[in-house]
Amino acid sequence: MSILEVQGLRKVYSSRLGGNRVEALKNVSFSVEAGEYVAIMGESGSGKTTLLNILAALDKPTAGRVILDGRDLTEVKESAVAAFRRDNLGFVFQDFNLLDTFTLEDNIYLPLVLAGKTYREMRERLLPIAGKLGITDLLKKYPYEVSGGQKQRAAVARAMITNPKLILADEPTGALDSRSTDELLRLFAEVNGMGQTILMVTHSVKAASVSGRVLFIKDGEVFHQIYRGGDTDEVLYQKINDTLTLLATGGMKR
Amino acid sequence: MKIGFYPRLAADGIRKNKRMFLPFILTCTGMVMMFYIIMYLAAGSFLDSVFGEETLRQFFALGSWVIAVFAAIFLFYTNSFLIRRRKKEFGLYNILGMGKRNIARVLFWETLIVAGISVTGGLILGVSFSKFAELGMLNLLHQKVSYDLSVSGVAVLRSLEVFGVIFLLLLLNSIRQVRFSTAVSLLRSENTGEKPPKGNWLFGLLGVALLAAAYYLAATIEDPVSALVVFFGAVIMVICGTYLVMISGSVLFCRLLQKKKSYYYKPNHFVSVSSMVYRMKRNGAGLASICILATMVLVMMASTTCLYVGEEDVIHYRYPREINLSFQLRELSDFSDEHTEELRGAVAKELDARSVSPKNASFYRYASLYGVVVGEVVEINSAMISDVDSIQNSYLISFVPLADYNAMMGTNETLNDGEALLYSYRTDFYQERLTFRDGESFKIKKKIDGFVENGDIAMDVLSSLLLVVPDLETSLKQVESVADYNGNRMLRMKWNYNFDTGLSPADQISLYHELRETLRTPESSEQIGYASVSVSSQEFEKSDFYSLFGSLFYLGIILSLVFLLAAVLIIYYKQISEGYEDQARFAIMQKVGMTKREIRKSINSQLLTVFFFPLALAALHMCFAFLIIRRLLLVFNLNNVLLFAGTTAASLLVFALFYALVYRLTSGAYYKIVSDAREEK
Repeated sequence: MSILEVQGLRKVYSSRLGGNRVEALKNVSFSVEAGEYVAIMGESGSGKTTLLNILAALDKPTAGRVILDGRDLTEVKESAVAAFRRDNLGFVFQDFNLLDTFTLEDNIYLPLVLAGKTYREMRERLLPIAGKLGITDLLKKYPYEVSGGQKQRAAVARAMITNPKLILADEPTGALDSRSTDELLRLFAEVNGMGQTILMVTHSVKAASVSGRVLFIKDGEVFHQIYRGGDTDEVLYQKINDTLTLLATGGMKR
Repeated sequence: MKIGFYPRLAADGIRKNKRMFLPFILTCTGMVMMFYIIMYLAAGSFLDSVFGEETLRQFFALGSWVIAVFAAIFLFYTNSFLIRRRKKEFGLYNILGMGKRNIARVLFWETLIVAGISVTGGLILGVSFSKFAELGMLNLLHQKVSYDLSVSGVAVLRSLEVFGVIFLLLLLNSIRQVRFSTAVSLLRSENTGEKPPKGNWLFGLLGVALLAAAYYLAATIEDPVSALVVFFGAVIMVICGTYLVMISGSVLFCRLLQKKKSYYYKPNHFVSVSSMVYRMKRNGAGLASICILATMVLVMMASTTCLYVGEEDVIHYRYPREINLSFQLRELSDFSDEHTEELRGAVAKELDARSVSPKNASFYRYASLYGVVVGEVVEINSAMISDVDSIQNSYLISFVPLADYNAMMGTNETLNDGEALLYSYRTDFYQERLTFRDGESFKIKKKIDGFVENGDIAMDVLSSLLLVVPDLETSLKQVESVADYNGNRMLRMKWNYNFDTGLSPADQISLYHELRETLRTPESSEQIGYASVSVSSQEFEKSDFYSLFGSLFYLGIILSLVFLLAAVLIIYYKQISEGYEDQARFAIMQKVGMTKREIRKSINSQLLTVFFFPLALAALHMCFAFLIIRRLLLVFNLNNVLLFAGTTAASLLVFALFYALVYRLTSGAYYKIVSDAREEK
């Protein structure tokens, strides 16, 4: 059963006076099955971020529908959007987006506190996740006291703690060194192994090569997709690279 | 490079940072205007005709210096906000190849432009409003006014000097800040990581202790003289205490709230409390300043208004009747009924000659001395009084014969020899017996709760004990003989004759002058038998009081306005600079799933706390200041607690209303900045 269905998504930005119109998304359709791990790739300006913003209900599409677990996102009322996002989606951002006024623990609790959960309940949920992510000892620290990788793990914990239907990750490895990147990707794979659906936007081939399926976007359309099938990470990595080369050269013969 | 490059760059910079510069320019303008007006009032020729013009000029000169010093401090403070915001821009210029020297030139032009606008604007406004200020003041002083507009050259010159120096200092400070930082640190100056504030227990507790001690002092002080001494100590304690409490105490309080999990992990409290910790750490000093400014404004508004409104009261206390005569007598024997009759006859003759018939007359014999009361013993020999603390136990002790008391008060009291009735003024002193060292001893038969108004008692800063004794001639024989080491007698003896005339004010004043001339001649005193006489007239003294209290009131209002302006600006800049810092934070919260309503609610609760915490503390300060100032006003013979309570409440109300208005304006600007973040994203 598909948990996310995107149908005929179109997004047109027009400058304030309505002069310049930019079509960020032309016609994007795809679906994500429950428990899938999907990477979306594309160059800068290909519409990745716009797509993610629409999936996150941070932005409204000009046309088309986004159906998350049977519910049409474009029809959720403005006032209910934030609560909807909080209950159904988890976010991991490139720049972590941790609040510097909170300890890591409080940062992770934030969505639960907003949902009105008690401290005991939050604590019970946090402990197994923190153990898995290896940040149990860091919970009392402030974001500025820990490394980028540790911050990103705290952000992952924050995304997971609400048991979301879908985790949206926006360039999660973008600000990390290679060791932290490996660590985080291993974690994502593990989390996905437990049945968590993940949708990741990235232009790191390495990050994409651990996913189960890679969608390529170019000029506002889904251009191609690669299923892992039984491939190893290395093989998938090679396939992605080939596709990217094809995308970049436009398939021209040299 | 064109010649106009730097000025243009500077002008652009100002235009682009309108939100920061506009309030700054407005403040400068306001300060210049206030300074000019006060200088104008101090130098203006229209004061020449006002009685007590010297005092007035001194008041205003003092006021103008207060404003100048305050303006310097305050403009420095607000300018630091400006610099902090601009550092990024300068860092960019620096990276793009502008040297520090070039940046200094931009800064120079910027300062010149700001100074030019605000000083010119301030002077124009000052000149236009100075006439209103003059009219307002003359009105308060009950003087006639003229309506021609004038400009005071001295005031203009002085304003230019003072603010020229202030702006020069501001410029040097800005250049210094830019000079000692690298391009990268300039660029990043806004986002340096910040440790979570810890809050210092020692300081927090010390602050609370200081406040408590000051409050205790204010609440327990009884007599006005000690109040005067204690007041300044208490003020300093309150200022220090406020800073400590705001800086450390508030952080500690938030920390405690965070420890309480069931409170902290609630949607309403979670975000507010945790960001409040940072807010208080960064703004503690600013909030404390606001609190203290607010308290100053309140104290000033309440007490000067009270003095002004209550001046009729004061005059009445000090000069009980329209005309008051007080004859100083030489000997105890002058208190004899015969001599008193002589005096009375002499005055009656003078009044008859002018066909004035006295009404509401009160006449009584009166003797007084100063003494330190320890237990029931009164030390009257100044040689015995050495202890500094004895000022607290010093009293003006006066004596009135029973016969005069009964006649005036319409009572029928009786006293045996060695007995006395006691009336205490501004004190609730009571002993069973009062014994004068080297003098008589009186058993207090009972305590009475009233006597006619007496100028001597009202005027004295010391509290008073009034003894009604059987007879002055016989009861004070020994006390009278006590002399100080110069051989001067301690006891002063008087016969007071106060009466109303029913004449017009002008006639009252001319009667006053005539009586002075006639009675104060040596012949008259020789013939009738008195040492000297003091003559006073309510009408005559009024003008002096009006000029004193009126100008105090006026200065109070103007300084209140200045401080109010300052408080408002501190608040504004705090909110703006915080708005910029909070932009990113609220953007994250929205991404993580906070609804706009929740964000708004959280902002609201934080703003409310930041805004009204200082006001609430200022109100608390004011409540205790009330207790001590009530005593201080007694020195001005103002004993109308109800009036003072009224003016205090009114000041609080006016201030709170004004404050709420500023809150609305400021929070609007803040929301705008915070929500801008989303559009930029």
